[in-house]
Amino acid sequence: MPGKLLKKILEEHKQSEHDSLSIIDQGINSILEIPELLTLKRLTRLTLSHNRLNSIPAQIAELINLEQLNLSNNQIEELPTSISSFQNLKILKLCFNRINSLPRGFGAFPVLEILDLTTNNLSETSLSNNFFELKSLRALYLADNFFEDLPKEINKLENLQILVLRTNELISIPDEISDLKNLKELHIQSNRLCILPPSIVQLDLFNPKSILKLDNNPWVDGIKNAYDISISHLSDFLASENYKKVYDQEINNSSKASLQPKSERYKRLNKK
Amino acid sequence: MNTMSDLGNALQDDPLLRCTFCRKSFNCNQQIINAKGQTFHSHCFVCAQCFQPFDDGVYYEFENRKYCENDFQLLFAPFCRGCKLFIKGRVIKAINFNWHPECFRCHSCNVLLDTGFVKNAQRPFCRECNLKEKIKNQNQIKCHKCSTPIENDMIRYKGETYHPYHFNCKLCDQELNCNAREVRGDLYCPKCHDKLDIPICSACHTPIDQERIVYALGKTWHVEHFACAKCEIPFNGSKHFEKRGLAYCEAHYSQLFGNLCFVCNSTITGDVFSFMNKSWCDKHFSCYLCDGMMNQKTKFYDFDSKPVCKHCFDKLPSKIRSAILKASDTKEQSKSIFSWIKDK
Repeated sequence: MPGKLLKKILEEHKQSEHDSLSIIDQGINSILEIPELLTLKRLTRLTLSHNRLNSIPAQIAELINLEQLNLSNNQIEELPTSISSFQNLKILKLCFNRINSLPRGFGAFPVLEILDLTTNNLSETSLSNNFFELKSLRALYLADNFFEDLPKEINKLENLQILVLRTNELISIPDEISDLKNLKELHIQSNRLCILPPSIVQLDLFNPKSILKLDNNPWVDGIKNAYDISISHLSDFLASENYKKVYDQEINNSSKASLQPKSERYKRLNKK
Repeated sequence: MNTMSDLGNALQDDPLLRCTFCRKSFNCNQQIINAKGQTFHSHCFVCAQCFQPFDDGVYYEFENRKYCENDFQLLFAPFCRGCKLFIKGRVIKAINFNWHPECFRCHSCNVLLDTGFVKNAQRPFCRECNLKEKIKNQNQIKCHKCSTPIENDMIRYKGETYHPYHFNCKLCDQELNCNAREVRGDLYCPKCHDKLDIPICSACHTPIDQERIVYALGKTWHVEHFACAKCEIPFNGSKHFEKRGLAYCEAHYSQLFGNLCFVCNSTITGDVFSFMNKSWCDKHFSCYLCDGMMNQKTKFYDFDSKPVCKHCFDKLPSKIRSAILKASDTKEQSKSIFSWIKDK
């Protein structure tokens, strides 16, 4: 049953003409506990952060005007397939949950711009088939998941400006990343990366206005030494003939990367 | 047998024997002129124009009026453009004028144009001369009113070129020279033009004479001169963005000043909140996790280069908290840079 504070929030919302609603840290276990929520058709922004939701009902798609949906820090394990039917959804935040896989057809959002799946239990095998059809995405947050491989299809997300893959199990970055001409922010710290594709220097990641985070990876010495000096040294090194030789050598001899131990985070996966 | 007086009576009484012109009867000793069955007093049988008797009795008739040869030609006969005399017999009608066949000659070489001609500026030419004339005229500006070349001063008016002396100032009626200015279809001398108080375009520094004036950046502009400072494409009424006294189109404003809001992805026009490489409009500068509004005083943490308020940060599991702190502090480059730029 809704608590006193929750009742007050709903009452205040009804009286106001706002088209946004935030119910934060109210210990809600399910959206169905608040039946009136799904009747608020005019909502464009719904924030349900820091609750205890463990699933999302298919009926959430009835809030057809939603532009922003924030479900951060809940206990969601599964999403309904209906979620991708939001025609106006621009921002979807699902960080700090327990999502194991994305529902079928998840890539169907027509105007999604920001997708946050930070700290979930996802890997390249748990993405939907059409995931890389999300052409309107400008920010994709996949930090703290279990990706070992970034699919080559990443190059289909041609509007991507921000890609965050911090704290995964990545062994390599595909050459196709250099097709993301708008990329200005790349976080790949805390992975198992030894090398970067030389073509990455074509991207606008090596200037002070961009963000490139590489720390905590088992980089080959050349990359590590150059990165320790400065970003521009790194860019020069990656563009050099010398590095091309290093890269070809490492590609042929990829055993080193696979030798890198997996992180202890797998315990999180096994816990459930 | 009738006596003289009988004849006189008969003349007076017969309605057919009256003057066709004045409708009066004839006296017995008066001269009667008979012309084509009509009878006239001799003083009534005169030219309808000059009231003089006809030379040798030769007259010309037009709409029941009789004219002497001279007046008839003056009034009705074609007039040759070439020799300025009347035309009897064959008439050549060309270029809105009449010509004697022997007067219709090339304007330039005077050759008889009996095998065809070319019209050029209301004058007939033979083909050869027309070609020469064309070449000659290629670099020559002509007055649209008198069709003669403009040698010295010239004005432009409604898209055509003219001799200035064909026009007078709308206000003071003085004959114009090449300094005349056009305002909404009227011409003015420079003195009167200054009195009209016409706004000056800030871009080209010339008066704005058209109906449409753009007021922007505290100045006035020609519609076609109010353009993006970067790409120079006129706004033509579309939205523009002002920065340090210059105006930009949306694309170049955001390219140059990089202020697209992270949330709404639109160009920021008011206060700008900047953190890491991102910007927010003041309406959307909020905690990434709870969407709660933040301001320049709110303390926040760097969560993968997104701002998270302390309140939300404290609600995260401790393992995640330490991971966020670790991820944000490992390299000099990533130190949180926050700025709040008040608009103007």
